[in-house]
Amino acid sequence: MDWKGYTVIYVVLFVFATAQAVVEFVGIVDSAYWLAFGIIMVLSVVKAVGVAAYYQHLRWEPRAVTYLVLGGTVAALALTAAAAYSIV
Amino acid sequence: MSEAHDHGLPPKSSVSRWFLTTNHKDIGVLYLVTALFFLVFGGLLALLFRLELITPGADLLGSLGYNQAVSTHGLLMVFWFISPFAFGFANYVVPLQIGADDLAFPRLNALSYWLYLFSGVLMGVSFFQGSTFAGGWTMYAPLNTPAYIPGEGLGATSVVLALIMFTAAVTLGSVNFLTTMYRMRAEGLRMRDIPIFSLSINLTVWMMLFAFAALLAALMILTSDHILGTTYFQFANDGSTLATDADNPGASLLWAHLFWFFGHPEVYIVFFPALGVMAECFQTFTGRRLVGRKWFIISMVLVAIQSFAVWMHHMFLTGINLPIKTIFMATTIGISLPFDLMVFSLIYTMAKGRVRFTTPFLFSLGALILFIVGGITGVFLGAIVLDYQFRGTYWVVAHFHYVMVSGATALFGGLYYWYPKITGKMYDETLGKIHFATYFVGFNLLYFPMFVAWETPRRVFEYSQDLQIWHSMATVGGFILGASMLIMFYNLFVSLWRGEDVGDNPWAYATTAEWAVSSPPPLENFPGVPTYADGSLSFMDDEEVARRTSGPGGSGVAADGGTAADGGTASVTTAATATPATPAHEAAGEEHASHASFWPFLVSLGGFVAFLGLSGVRTGSVVYVSMAAVGGLVTVGSLFGMTREPFHAPEMPIAERWPFASVEKMKLGMWTFLASDIVLFGAFIGSYAFVRVAYGWSEWHHDLIPAEHVTMPGLINTYLLLTSSFLVVLAMVAAERESKKGTTAALAGTFALGVGFLINKGIEWNHLFHISTEMFPNGWNLSTNIASSTFYLTTGLHGAHVTIGLLICAYMTYRAWTGAYQGDDRAIEYFGLYWHFVDIVWLFLFPLFYIL
Amino acid sequence: MVPHAAIGVPLHGGDVRAPADVFNSIFEVFLVLGTAVGVLVVTYTLYHAIKYRETAGEDPYADKVERPSMGEMPTGGSGGRKVFYSFGISAIIVVSLIAWTYSSLAYVEDGPQIAGEEDITVQVEGFRFGWAFIYPNGHEASTLKVPRNRVVRLEVTSRDVFHNFGIPELRVKADAIPGQTTDAWFTASETGTYQAKCYELCGSGHSVMVAPVEVMPQDEYQSWYAGTNGTQNGSSNQTAASVGGAPA
Repeated sequence: MDWKGYTVIYVVLFVFATAQAVVEFVGIVDSAYWLAFGIIMVLSVVKAVGVAAYYQHLRWEPRAVTYLVLGGTVAALALTAAAAYSIV
Repeated sequence: MSEAHDHGLPPKSSVSRWFLTTNHKDIGVLYLVTALFFLVFGGLLALLFRLELITPGADLLGSLGYNQAVSTHGLLMVFWFISPFAFGFANYVVPLQIGADDLAFPRLNALSYWLYLFSGVLMGVSFFQGSTFAGGWTMYAPLNTPAYIPGEGLGATSVVLALIMFTAAVTLGSVNFLTTMYRMRAEGLRMRDIPIFSLSINLTVWMMLFAFAALLAALMILTSDHILGTTYFQFANDGSTLATDADNPGASLLWAHLFWFFGHPEVYIVFFPALGVMAECFQTFTGRRLVGRKWFIISMVLVAIQSFAVWMHHMFLTGINLPIKTIFMATTIGISLPFDLMVFSLIYTMAKGRVRFTTPFLFSLGALILFIVGGITGVFLGAIVLDYQFRGTYWVVAHFHYVMVSGATALFGGLYYWYPKITGKMYDETLGKIHFATYFVGFNLLYFPMFVAWETPRRVFEYSQDLQIWHSMATVGGFILGASMLIMFYNLFVSLWRGEDVGDNPWAYATTAEWAVSSPPPLENFPGVPTYADGSLSFMDDEEVARRTSGPGGSGVAADGGTAADGGTASVTTAATATPATPAHEAAGEEHASHASFWPFLVSLGGFVAFLGLSGVRTGSVVYVSMAAVGGLVTVGSLFGMTREPFHAPEMPIAERWPFASVEKMKLGMWTFLASDIVLFGAFIGSYAFVRVAYGWSEWHHDLIPAEHVTMPGLINTYLLLTSSFLVVLAMVAAERESKKGTTAALAGTFALGVGFLINKGIEWNHLFHISTEMFPNGWNLSTNIASSTFYLTTGLHGAHVTIGLLICAYMTYRAWTGAYQGDDRAIEYFGLYWHFVDIVWLFLFPLFYIL
Repeated sequence: MVPHAAIGVPLHGGDVRAPADVFNSIFEVFLVLGTAVGVLVVTYTLYHAIKYRETAGEDPYADKVERPSMGEMPTGGSGGRKVFYSFGISAIIVVSLIAWTYSSLAYVEDGPQIAGEEDITVQVEGFRFGWAFIYPNGHEASTLKVPRNRVVRLEVTSRDVFHNFGIPELRVKADAIPGQTTDAWFTASETGTYQAKCYELCGSGHSVMVAPVEVMPQDEYQSWYAGTNGTQNGSSNQTAASVGGAPA
């Protein structure tokens, strides 16, 4: 990937970060909390995937590296989700 | 012969060798000896409290002494004895079995060992800081917090810090072993083809990588509660003690979740290597290949994965809801079944065999029988209705000792099995058999009566009189078990001199590669590059290696061997090493491999002093504070020295590398480390989510967070980090184009933005510390409430990651300025992997802690 | 509560399956089966070890199995089918045993629903190092007094650290966690004095953290409970507060 590609990614990340803050500034967090929660978390996930895929070059590595990363992520999510669910 | 002087490594008779060595065999021996020391340490504590239990009452140790003894016995045996003992074998044997000449990162391996040793020393020192930790090896909250620890509690803090140090050693070791096993297998050895002991270690380190990261999170939070004054594990921080006023109702359960998320995989982490040893000894001493090997392996893989989904069976009585209990009951039963298969596989391996009752086989067979008893009594615990009543009783104690100590039994078998390989001498077989007989009798006399006396609550010294006979029996058994170990120590010690010399292979039907070389093996392990390409082990000489590697891609650039991504073909890769100062084109340069470094010892010594200091900083004592400072400086300084030291660990010229053929070893090491870091941060974020759910997700923001905590500083920091990430990739682009100016400028920019991030955070924190509002008249600091604790600690951990990144970045900026990296951007890429990861973490922290 | 008691509470007369009965019957089955399976498998293991021990002279199985050789690529041995049969049998035993006990779980969790009978609910609060029992009328005591043949429901929590409340003879147990409340129930058909113990390490007094449990005849209980009405802050409250007060 050349610098132009990296720059496009950077602009997208910048815009998405701003969008997250805008969701708060226009009051969606107060008026429709879980909608805002959904939008903001999806934006975060998209940003994270963008950084991992392009800046960390996961797109060009063997899939096994992605599985390694997903392994850690799934473990952490399993802990979070199951623990939180257990006391609901 | 192999003790050649040109490696910079003194002979084994010299004391200095053992401080300098980075060779996997030396370090294996160090692990074994050290672990046996901790076995004696933990064992003596056990004998002390068994003596106490011979009659009811705490007339020997006193109540607090008793609690300390049971707690540290558990911690020492689980952490400092059994796993490191197994990793002594792993260090020694795994590279030999898979055909590698050492681990991928020999200095990191030495660092793992020294961190382990010094963590144990810190554990020992804790006994002299008033009192050591007394809250059980499970360290339940909030008994593990200073509020409930008698006296100053410095010893308890030391124990927590020692565990952190131990965890650091484990994480480094996991990264190292995984990289080794995926990058350094002999040609022709697919992952499923590596010997069963090495496979068991592979799965063990996978579990370690993730499980210990969760433990690290729990321990870091606990340390913060001890030293920084956060309130994660305190349920009420306004001084009230009534349960109903709890400010942090999730406090106790948070610890239980984090601990058992680690704790259950830990059971298999402890047991898998033993299983590997058993399978290895069964094959050798029955003269049969492991029956159902494929299914044996599949079973282990299933257990390793599923081990992360059974932890709540330790929490059936905590009031977690019925659906989750049902799910975890099902996963628990599910995970027991693969073990049935493995047991039967071992049993049938004996069929049509030529079984020889040598000491290693006796211990392996004994371990199998003990494990069967442990397994059956474990099924009792899987039935929730029974588990409710077994909870906190000697049924649990007896069950897990039958499992864990059966693991230790197999490992003692392993010690006899590999003793001739390690020392070149044969132990005394008669004494070995006497050892086994006393051991087995002592074991069962110690632990079986505990099933009969199961109504005794755990960790008490008072029990009903009618159970006394069983407890007395157990005590006698404990002493017999302890005495049997003396026979082993005597036997193995004396045999060093009197034992008969053994050749390469004293065991008929042994097949694995460690037996194909001399005892002990030479420093470089093999007479040539090992290969299984034609179905069995042979060695390629230099000429053949040169011929095979002289094709395209063998010429100095780090070629990735491209086509091997789906296994089968071996890839050709030239050496690329951890150290930028080393030339990257010494393919097959085993003669030049380095084997000595003093820095790992120094780093660990510094870490020890720093942690000892940290244990007492909250007292404000000059001694402790200066120890923390000096220790910290020594650690950082030695890490810097280690980076500057020329150290050469060449990659194998020809090796099996599926599925990471095109991922150079530094990169693979970095990714593996990041995977564990994901779990670390995941556990921090998970802790935040959990305590917030326990408190009430929506009320949290309203009740606990001041209006002054606004979005803007977080948004600015998001921009700063995103931009810094962008600059790192630009630095890579510039380095590829050999633009020294561009590389330096981009790295310097990254550094500046990172510093800006920290300054912005500093201003924000300072503001929040000193706000004075109606709700928070005294500011919003670490101890104000659970929301402030989670905010400061989680973003603080992230800030610490940024700081470490900045140190590396500053060094790299300097190196770029002096002309490094031009045309070879790999170092920048690896730093970038870390930096982008830190960026990604912030992408989640920002919305979670600033917006939602 | 009290007027109800005055007209007499219908009892379950001992025909309710107590948690202790559930536990004991399941435990018995597990013990018998577990011992049988254990003896069988261990014998089977030893039989294999001894039957196939190395004997002097020729390898009797030389024509049946191939012995491993040095440096060979690791592979599996023959005979895998037997492993599967044995595994299948053991899996069936384990799964059916657990499934069978699961049917009792819902009962042990929720307790019986008896028409017309009113359960007694007692709050149990653990503290270092004792137990406080708080009745619906606010009476707090350090002894748990309950009538026989009534379903007693416990709401268990803690004032300081993690404890676990259990009455071994009555097979009732629950974690006592600060900030959380856990439920458990039991019923006793025999009058007498039992002992509640702490089953989670909680500090220096853990071993002696016990409380008496008195199961009394219904009428005795009624008159005792009626008498507690005016003494909401019994003397035990005082001790509880002073002992359980500030953490060490």
